[in-house]
Amino acid sequence: MTGPDAPAALRATGLGFRYRRRAAWPLRDCGFTVPTGRVVALVGRNGAGKTTLLHLAGGLLRPSAGELRVLDAEPGSPEARTRVALLTQDKALYPRFTVADTLLMGEKLNPRWDGATAERTVREGGIPLHARVGELSPGQRTRVALALALGKRPELLLLDEPMADLDPVARGGIMAALMADAAERGTTIVLSSHVLPDLEQTCDWVLLLRDGRIELSEDVDALRGDHVVLTGHADRADELAARHTVVDRRDGGRQTTALVRRHGPLSGDWHVERPSLEDILVGHLRTGSDPGGRTEEAA
Amino acid sequence: MNGTLWLAWRQQRVLVGVASAVLAVVAALAAYHRDGILADLDSGLFDHCGPGPLHCTRDDIGSVLLLDIEPLRYLGALNMALPLLMGVFWGAPLLGRDRELGTHRTVLTQGVGRGQWFASRFALAAVATTALSGLFAGVFAWWWQPAADRSYGLFWYEAPALSGSGPRVVAAALFGLAAGTLLGLLARRVLAAMGLTLLATGAVTLLLEWAHRARLMVPPHVYTSPGSVPKPLMGDKWSTGNYGLTTASGRKDDVLNCPFPSGNRLEECMADKGYVARFYEANPASDFWAFQWTDTAVLGGLAVLCVAATVLLLRRRV
Repeated sequence: MTGPDAPAALRATGLGFRYRRRAAWPLRDCGFTVPTGRVVALVGRNGAGKTTLLHLAGGLLRPSAGELRVLDAEPGSPEARTRVALLTQDKALYPRFTVADTLLMGEKLNPRWDGATAERTVREGGIPLHARVGELSPGQRTRVALALALGKRPELLLLDEPMADLDPVARGGIMAALMADAAERGTTIVLSSHVLPDLEQTCDWVLLLRDGRIELSEDVDALRGDHVVLTGHADRADELAARHTVVDRRDGGRQTTALVRRHGPLSGDWHVERPSLEDILVGHLRTGSDPGGRTEEAA
Repeated sequence: MNGTLWLAWRQQRVLVGVASAVLAVVAALAAYHRDGILADLDSGLFDHCGPGPLHCTRDDIGSVLLLDIEPLRYLGALNMALPLLMGVFWGAPLLGRDRELGTHRTVLTQGVGRGQWFASRFALAAVATTALSGLFAGVFAWWWQPAADRSYGLFWYEAPALSGSGPRVVAAALFGLAAGTLLGLLARRVLAAMGLTLLATGAVTLLLEWAHRARLMVPPHVYTSPGSVPKPLMGDKWSTGNYGLTTASGRKDDVLNCPFPSGNRLEECMADKGYVARFYEANPASDFWAFQWTDTAVLGGLAVLCVAATVLLLRRRV
């Protein structure tokens, strides 16, 4: 399924980006493949490079190194533009346009346009078509921007922090709409979010960025299956680390709790728990940044 | 209609409307005042006035005779300010507004490329600018024509006429638009872009006015009159204010070396000091077009440079 010949929604090889020569790399040495038809959670801490990656995939930026392909096309090429939709974090729309104008803009600027879907998305939010975009609430604006993205009938839908401005009810509604779309037409959806519980229910693939590098690009079920939370005697921790990957570890006196990625069966006297996806992601996000780890590095 | 062109029109129609309304008002004022000028000329009051630059006076009471050309001068000034207005209000927001709002990202992730996006909106702005500035220049020329090159009217070399009419007005307006567009791309905020555009277009406008006065790009002719032959009349020529005496070897000296009117004393003085001729420097009226075309070339060239820079930067900054 993830071999080099399988259809890929996103495929990066040695991908790097920086704004200027000799500047820092917001993104570097990224290599990953995301199969089509997935709902992908793009997670990472602030400044990890999520937005940069999405802008690269949307064709707004061009790679400084390596290559990124979306649906086997070059991002920003005419082919990719018709098949990929990107909802940027600022959800910028023309404030003086009415909602109807904005949707008309989508119709005029896209060779493929599904006006019914776009209008339904807006109506479901109870937004009148004649309202000016500048007078809408941020949540309503998000919905209009999303309608603009869905009206394209994209095969790959990139969403940068789509839920940030939405209340929980609207959030659920939009998520349901997105999932229905994904199930119905096999749309690949990549959404970045800080709200990890939202992702737990919906995503089946995880892209985890840390400091501009891809840390994880994996199926969620595989992740869940491989990770365990172990609690036991601190003396046994080194033995554990020799055979398995300790992602994150907290010591409390003689007892230690560790998020572990298993390689083979576990042995020893450990209390085993199944972590939630959130636990796994937080564990991976925290690695290399907790104070304890830093002291060790410094020493 | 092509999608990007639809969007360009949707965003610029207010500007086109406002500019057209101003043009209509100006044209109506021009028609009214031009009728007034024609009526004044028909009255015969100016029939005895010569073609030279000296004011002519009423025979009976001796007061200076002038046509009412003050409103015409205002239109000339407006035309001279067109690059500033076009740059600040049309050019700077052309890309700058989208960049400030972030809407260029929304547009560029629809089914259009940035080349097409830029080409459509700039083409619409350029066509509108060319048409509007051409009409403003045309209205000026039409209004000016009965009062042209008369001491009681407006000479071709006066700034409102030289810089406020003809093809250079169109080139200047396009330069303003292109400079504003480039600065809108470079500056982060539309307001900053507007300020920078005002500075840039204002500086170029003033520089060209100075170049006119200094005859930098259109050098003056030297008119000489040997010995005591009467000087050729200044007429509608534009004097540089530089005149004097020439020696046999061609050296030019200040007129104060022999400060006498034509006559015996002047001849004696010239013979005494070895002067063989008198001279003055001026541009003939036919140089109007030389000024016009050099300005058009300079401003057009600057406009092309700005557009080229914008296109080159578009990939990196949008």
